Amino acid sequence: MQNKFKDKKKFIDFSLGSLNLSLVVDKNILLKKLNFIKNINNELFSIRVENKLIPRNKYKIEKVFKKTDVNFTVISIDFSQNFGNDFFKGRISFVQKKKNITDFIFQLSARWHKDIPKKVLLKFPFLINMHKNKNFLKPGDIFDGKIRINKGVWNLHEYPPSIISDNLGNQCLGFEFYDQFPWQANYNLGISEAISNENFEKLETEVQLTRELTDIILMKIYTSSQGREKIFSLWKENTRERYDLRKYHDSQNRWIKKNYLQHFMFAYGEEAFDYKKMEFKIIQIIKEGKEFGGYDSILFWHQYPRLGLDESNQWQLYKYLPKNYKTIKKIVDICHSYNIKFFIPFKPWDIRSNESLDSHAKSLEKFIKATSIDGFFLDTMSSLPDSFLKIQKKFPSFEFCSEGTPREQRQIETLTSSWDQIGDIRRNFTVEINSNFFRFLFPEHPLNLVSRWSVGSDKDLLIKRAAFNGMGMVIWQDIFGCWLPFSIEQKKKIKSLKYILKKYHKCFFGNNSIPLIQTLSKKIICNEFSNSFSKQKIYSIYNFGSNKIKGRILKLPSAVKEFKQIYGKDANIKIEKNQNFFYLLANLDIDDVILLNIKFDI
Amino acid sequence: MKSFVNKKIFIESNEYTYRVEHLTLEGTCSTDHGPRNVKIKNLLVDKYPVTNQQYSFFLIKTGYQPKDSQRFLEHKPNKKISNLPVVFVSQNDAIAYAKWVGGRLPTDEEWQYIAAGPKYLDWPWGNKFNSSLCNHDGNKLESVNAYRKGESWCGCVDMSGNCWEWTAGIHDDGNHQFALLRGGSYFYAHDHWHVGGGARKNNYHWKLQILNEGMNRAATLGFRCVYDAK
Repeated sequence: MQNKFKDKKKFIDFSLGSLNLSLVVDKNILLKKLNFIKNINNELFSIRVENKLIPRNKYKIEKVFKKTDVNFTVISIDFSQNFGNDFFKGRISFVQKKKNITDFIFQLSARWHKDIPKKVLLKFPFLINMHKNKNFLKPGDIFDGKIRINKGVWNLHEYPPSIISDNLGNQCLGFEFYDQFPWQANYNLGISEAISNENFEKLETEVQLTRELTDIILMKIYTSSQGREKIFSLWKENTRERYDLRKYHDSQNRWIKKNYLQHFMFAYGEEAFDYKKMEFKIIQIIKEGKEFGGYDSILFWHQYPRLGLDESNQWQLYKYLPKNYKTIKKIVDICHSYNIKFFIPFKPWDIRSNESLDSHAKSLEKFIKATSIDGFFLDTMSSLPDSFLKIQKKFPSFEFCSEGTPREQRQIETLTSSWDQIGDIRRNFTVEINSNFFRFLFPEHPLNLVSRWSVGSDKDLLIKRAAFNGMGMVIWQDIFGCWLPFSIEQKKKIKSLKYILKKYHKCFFGNNSIPLIQTLSKKIICNEFSNSFSKQKIYSIYNFGSNKIKGRILKLPSAVKEFKQIYGKDANIKIEKNQNFFYLLANLDIDDVILLNIKFDI
Repeated sequence: MKSFVNKKIFIESNEYTYRVEHLTLEGTCSTDHGPRNVKIKNLLVDKYPVTNQQYSFFLIKTGYQPKDSQRFLEHKPNKKISNLPVVFVSQNDAIAYAKWVGGRLPTDEEWQYIAAGPKYLDWPWGNKFNSSLCNHDGNKLESVNAYRKGESWCGCVDMSGNCWEWTAGIHDDGNHQFALLRGGSYFYAHDHWHVGGGARKNNYHWKLQILNEGMNRAATLGFRCVYDAK
C-alpha cells in the first residue's frame, strides 16, 4: 500500500491491490476517488442522534496513523465531534494484510450527557451510491440487459461479496460483511442482508455506543483487475482459510464423494415391497436403478410416517420388519454385491425423554455391527452431533448425510455430505436453474439435489439444475405414499448426467470451480468447473431467456486444444479465433442446459 | 377383574352425509373423503372394543395361529388385563375373530355413523371435547368400560381414545396398500412428525400404510365388530 498525506489538501491516496483510492480528510471523511468509478465523492458515514443529523463538515480530525510493515499496512483516522451535550469519538481504518484484500473498519464511541444513552443511527452514503451504480451487482446477481437478476443461491452463513465493476467488467471491487455470529442483531449481518435488497438506501443501522471505541462495521474489500471471477476466487480462498477441512482431505478417496445417485426407498409401496411375498424388492429396485445410470446408494425409509402410533421408537421398528434385523442385513448384503451403499435414517425428533444422543449412537453402533450398513441419514438435520462423530473412529468408512445443507462452520467441517433440497408444497414452487454457491465454495462436500414434490416439467428443470451445478441427485419417487415417478426421458437424462459426473469427476469437483462467470449474452449464465492441476475446464451453460441464442456466448481464456459437448441437446458448438481472442459459439434453445468439456493449450 | 358381556347394539338402516378428515403428515390418503351420501344397512355393533378376554377365548376355541405371528399379542393377555381392549392384532387377526363370532369389521363409513349418528356429533358424547369421557393422553390402556359416560348416540362405548380401531378393507391406490384407523388412542407422541395421538373426533381417520404383519400390529391398535342384521 502506497500512501501520502498532504497536510494542506488533506488527501490520503493509497492502493487496494490493483486499484487506487483517495480519501479527503478535512472536516469530514470523504471517499474522493476510486480509479474506475467516476464522480465518487461521498461521505463514508453519517450519524443521526435521536433524529438529528450531525452536520457535515464538523468533525475534528484528531490523528492520522500510518504504518507499513512487512506483514501489513494500516491507515487509520481518528476523529471526534461534540453534539449537544454529548461527545463522539470514532476511527476509520484500512488494514491490508494480503494483496487484493483490505479490511475497512469503522469504530465509534460516545460519552453521553448524564450517562444516558441515546438512539444512534448510521448510514454509509458511499455504499448507497455504489449500490445505485449501474455496474453494481448484489451477491449472486448477474446483469440481464439493464436490470440485474439473482442467479446465485446459498444457504449458509457465508455471504458472497457484492461487486462493483467498470464498464468492461474487468476492474472490480467486492464488498463482504463477514459476521461470525449468525444472528440478525449483528450489524455486519444486517448490512450483508440489506445490501441484497432494493431499498438498501433506506437502511439505517442502529448502534449502541459506549465510552470505548466499538467495532461497528467490518467490511472486507476485495479488488480485481481480472473480472468478477477473481473476486469470487479471493472470497473463496479467504473464507476457506477459516475452515478446518481436514476431514474432507483426509478422506479424499471416500466413497461418499462418488455418491452421485441416492435412491430413496420408501418401504410402504409397490416400488419397494412385494405384498404377496411379504418381502422387499431390492433386486428389482437395483435393476430399475440402472435406467437412471445405477444407484450409488440406497436410503431405506420405514419409520416415518409410522412412528408415534405407539411407544415403539425408531430402532424398535426395525425389529418388526420380517425376520427382524435380518431383513436389513440381507438387503445390505445384496446392495453390497452390486457395489451399492446402504443408508438408514436417524430421526432426531423421536428422541424420547429417557434417551440421549449417546444412547442412539450406541444403538447405531450395534446396528452397524449387525447389518453392515454404510451410512446414517440425518433426517431434518444439518449438523452432525459429536456422539455420532465418534462412530467414524470405530468405523472409518461409515458416512453421514444430512437432509439440510450445513450452514455453520463446525457443521461444514464435520458433516461431509448432504442433500441440496428445494421446493415447498405449500406454494406454487417452480424449480429455478441457478448457481448454488455452497457447491462452488466447498466442492469437496457432495450434494444430492432433491425436490420431492416436483413433477412434470419441474422434474425436467430439476435435472437441468443438477447438470448446471454439476451435482448428483436423490431419486425419490414414492413420497410417503404418493407415487411421483420420473419419465423414461427423464431417466435417460439422469443417466447421462451420472455418466459425465463419474467420468469427469476430478474436473467437476475441482478446487478452482467458479459460479456465474461472465458471458457474452445477457440471457446466458455459465459455471466453470476446473481444478488446479489440469488444463481442462467444463462449462455448464444455461439459456434462461425467451429466445434462441445463436453466436458467441463465451470468451475463452486461451487457445483451445480440443472440445466436446458432453451433456444436453446438440448446440452446434464452434470455437472462433478473432485476433488473439478465442470465442465459443453455440446455438442454444430456450431453457437448454448444455455442458462442454474443453482442453486448453496453455 | 370382573368380566362383562360385550352386548350388541342395533343400528337401524339410514342414509347420512359422510365427510371425513384425515391426519395429514405428508403424502396422500387416496380415498373419497366426501361429502357424499352413504347408506348404512341394519347393523348390530359391539358395545365395546373386543377385549383380551374375548380374544383369548377365541384362541382357545379355535386354536387360531396367524401365518406371521411377529408381535402377535405381544402384550401377553392375562386375567389382570382381561377387560382391556385386545391390541397387537393385525387386520387379519381382527377379521379372523370377527368371522368366528359371525361378524365383520365395520367399514370406515359405518364406524363414523356408529360414533357420530344422525346428528353428526363431533365426539361420541356430543360436540364438545371432554377429557373425562375418554382415555386421552393417558399412560396406558384402560378397561373398555371405563368411560361409559362417553358412550355414543347408540350406546357404543370407548369409541374415542384408549385404542385405535381397525376398519374393514385394504385400500389400494395402485401403488400402495393401506387401511383406515379410527378413534385415536391413549398414547400421545411428543413431536408433530409423529402420528397424532390422543382421542380423535368422529369424522377423523388415519391411513395406516400396510407392510408385514409385525409392522401392522401395535400396542394401541384394536378393533370392534359389527354384524349384518335384517
